[in-house]
Amino acid sequence: MVSILVHAAEQGFAYGVAALGVFITFRVLRFPDLTVDGSFVTGAAIASSLLTSTGIDPFLALAVAFGAGCVAGAVTGLLHTRLGIADLLAGVLSMIMLYSINLRIMGRPSISLLRVTTLSDLVERALSPLGVAAILVVLGGLTLAVKFALDVFFRTEFGLALRATGDNEAMIVAQGVNTKTMKVFGLAFSNGLVALSGALVAQYSGFADVGMGVGTIVTGLAAVIIGGSLIRSRRIGWMTTSVLVGSLIYRVAVMFALRYGYLVGFQASDLKLVTSLLVIVALVVPTLRERLERKVGSC
Amino acid sequence: MLLVAAVSVAGLGAPIRIGICKIVEHPALDANERGVIDALTAAGYVEGKDVEYFLASAQGDPNNAIPIAQDFQAKGVALVVAISTPMALAAVEVFQKTDVPVVFSAVTDPVAAGLVLDDDDPSQNGIVTGVSDLIDVAGDLALLKELSSAIGRVGMVYNPGEANSARLTAIAEAAAPGLGLSIVKAVADTSANVPAAAQSLVGRVDAFYVTTDNTVVSAIDAVVAAAEEGSVPFLMADPTSLRFGPVVATGFDYYKQGLLAGDIVLQILAGKKPNEIPVTYQTGAEIHLNLDAAARIDLAFPASLIDRATGLFFGGFAWLKSNG
Repeated sequence: MVSILVHAAEQGFAYGVAALGVFITFRVLRFPDLTVDGSFVTGAAIASSLLTSTGIDPFLALAVAFGAGCVAGAVTGLLHTRLGIADLLAGVLSMIMLYSINLRIMGRPSISLLRVTTLSDLVERALSPLGVAAILVVLGGLTLAVKFALDVFFRTEFGLALRATGDNEAMIVAQGVNTKTMKVFGLAFSNGLVALSGALVAQYSGFADVGMGVGTIVTGLAAVIIGGSLIRSRRIGWMTTSVLVGSLIYRVAVMFALRYGYLVGFQASDLKLVTSLLVIVALVVPTLRERLERKVGSC
Repeated sequence: MLLVAAVSVAGLGAPIRIGICKIVEHPALDANERGVIDALTAAGYVEGKDVEYFLASAQGDPNNAIPIAQDFQAKGVALVVAISTPMALAAVEVFQKTDVPVVFSAVTDPVAAGLVLDDDDPSQNGIVTGVSDLIDVAGDLALLKELSSAIGRVGMVYNPGEANSARLTAIAEAAAPGLGLSIVKAVADTSANVPAAAQSLVGRVDAFYVTTDNTVVSAIDAVVAAAEEGSVPFLMADPTSLRFGPVVATGFDYYKQGLLAGDIVLQILAGKKPNEIPVTYQTGAEIHLNLDAAARIDLAFPASLIDRATGLFFGGFAWLKSNG
């Protein structure tokens, strides 16, 4: 039970970085960006290819993945702001282009990291006294570092301008801010985080697969929405926290579906149904509680 | 000897826990899973008494592979059967530091996938062994040549995103020149793009050849239509698709492949270590002929081929030949 929760938490943090990226586009910029289904794989692909071909430092591989993701996001931003392609379509186009590019980067559809030194191997070696918690500590530390960096960034003048671009574009244009540049930057940053997450997940899983990006947008949004329904706040620090909480809940839901689904008669083929039902419960419970409290209060 | 092992195991009391996971629900993979279980049942392992199965499917999402393997570990399985490459990679990642054996199935190229170091010499392969589903591509191409010596250009519709398919297409390209053939490729990255890819080959090829490509198989009608439009034969390396209209279907029965994986499981339960069992390559591909489809393109099968066929399809029905 404990080990399952530790694993779910590891995944919650690793995928949480992608959820933070989705948060930037969907919540901050209000830009429905589908590039992420491609850039998640781009991160995994770059990191895995570098690890297998050059034996690069696993942390450096994360940084390169982040950079590649930024480029992917910037392309979507430029397609939208400079070429006037609709936001949704710009993201879809980037996502489709990335499918081919990811295959080029990888050279084949899946890359095994079983025989190269990954982040997990480094961590297990360096922090062996921590035992099963070692990887959780490092993934949690990395993800929280990203979260706090985001919090600091969004309080800077530039960060505030980025938030205003999504909140009230007319107002911020009047302030003399170039919202096109803001959008390109926001999309680049967001996809950089998503690619970083892909690189983390690949190193954690021991392989990269060209199909691993499908649904990044869905799980990312699930994390943003679950977290947002549990922690209602307009303060940026709480908002980023809520995204990570949402990501953790989603991964715990997957683990519980796998672990206990069969006890209540669910079959292997019901996995996605069970996961979604658990997410619905997570979404509905706070609302129900609120209603109940109001009723009790009025009595 | 296997029976003795089963009996002695049965005497131990607690059932052996075996986790079987697959990447997606698919007739071939489902049959594979059933084959594993049937092989164990036939050897005397009664489900619920001697063995307990935990079945899992990643439902098409590779991100579910690791959680499934971790869940197997938490459930305390004594052995994992991993059906498909990503599931096998995830199982090995999770179990590599344990002594829980991982038996893979439906993996085309276990060496290139990084699952094992050597398929013939298993001594360095650790906890991993299994069955490869590498199809006999050169054999299939030779079969096309046997069908009609006039065939020169072979069109292949494939999804480069599928590990198995990309590999098989590369093998076909390497084998073709030796048989006096050339391969013309058309890429379909999703099932929705198969019709356009297949159409692009009409008039440019003398035959169609599709390997075990899940993307293309799910839109097989489009390739059949293109082949019939061009009046050229279509060979499909998947016998279960014969009734959909390819002229020839070859390949391995995934149920039988599951039985082979089950046989490896039995060897391990009887005391062998995975690093003593080389990777199994399935042999004896079956040939199935679709006479209805052949009639539509005015093709007459050579008698030699009809003699060797396991199954025939005509009059809208599949007939199994008894090659007594």
